[in-house]
Amino acid sequence: MILHTINAAPSSNALADCMAIAEPCDAVLLLGDGVYAALKDTVSCTQLQSSGAALYVLQADAAAAGVLNLLADDIRLIDMDGFVELSETMPRQQAWY
Amino acid sequence: MNADTAKRVLLVIRHSPYGSSLARASLDAALAAAAFEQPINLLFIGDGVLQLLPEQDAAAIGLRNHARTLASLPLYNIDSVYVERAAADRYHIDLALAPLVVLPLDSHEIHQFMCQHDHLLGF
Amino acid sequence: MIYSLLVLSSHVSGHGALTAAGFARSAIARGHSIRRVFFLDAGSCAGSSTAVFPQDEADRLQPWLALAEDHKVELVLCISSALKHGMLDSTEAQRYEKNAPTVHPAFIVSGLGQLVDATAESDRIVTFGG
Repeated sequence: MILHTINAAPSSNALADCMAIAEPCDAVLLLGDGVYAALKDTVSCTQLQSSGAALYVLQADAAAAGVLNLLADDIRLIDMDGFVELSETMPRQQAWY
Repeated sequence: MNADTAKRVLLVIRHSPYGSSLARASLDAALAAAAFEQPINLLFIGDGVLQLLPEQDAAAIGLRNHARTLASLPLYNIDSVYVERAAADRYHIDLALAPLVVLPLDSHEIHQFMCQHDHLLGF
Repeated sequence: MIYSLLVLSSHVSGHGALTAAGFARSAIARGHSIRRVFFLDAGSCAGSSTAVFPQDEADRLQPWLALAEDHKVELVLCISSALKHGMLDSTEAQRYEKNAPTVHPAFIVSGLGQLVDATAESDRIVTFGG
């Protein structure tokens, strides 16, 4: 079980590198420019969904990007408290950037 | 440090050797871990496999030769490193010519390997 | 649980470093302790006592100072990264005969051994990069 945090736009290889190894037991949290990968019906969003991992977006970063209402339905918005809570249950974190 | 209770740490290395300072930072961290007898593993994925190209001449750009530093890791009891096989294939890198012994892993093996460690440090 | 943070994010480009400070604050609020925050590579600039930011942007230094003052969080800049980025405390400024220290006193400048120590002592290491 790995908590993957992606802090780079979908065009960078951070998303691709993460998706190459992410598995359904993992969680993926999108931060910073990473939030754009969760835009509904995009190729990057489909990639995220294909991993089978639980998908999360940091709310403040999505708000900044103006994408709060543009995300796929299975993306969960979480705040910083939720980020910490995720880190409690996932034994290890891998930062992709 | 008690080997039974020591945390298992994996450096996950994804950047090319000279385009950023991350590659050097990751090796400095590996050497520090070795100096403090902290068990450490190195995993090269994505563009990180480019660090394993053998004929680097960093003097040409005024930087420390990264391949030479990798080649010195066995002196610090880091005898082998792990590599994403698919990334090496994409760049047509001959791993037999790498600066030190490399053990290729496929995607699922990488996930398993990561899960065998307590801490993952992403460089 | 005991957490340590590894911060590689620039304090200027993106807001990864501010996110890290926010994470530390929330972790403490949830009852966890922060063993150490280790700043590496571009992250070492978080300790700048001389950086000046526009008034319409968040203060980059204050969140770390608050963590140090209110919760005794140890803030460590990796010495090799710090030197390359012009982050010198008074000892290093004297050693290298530079005009003045540039690191805020709330930060310690030290070696990667502090990161290794943090990995040994912590239940969770959370890395912030990019």
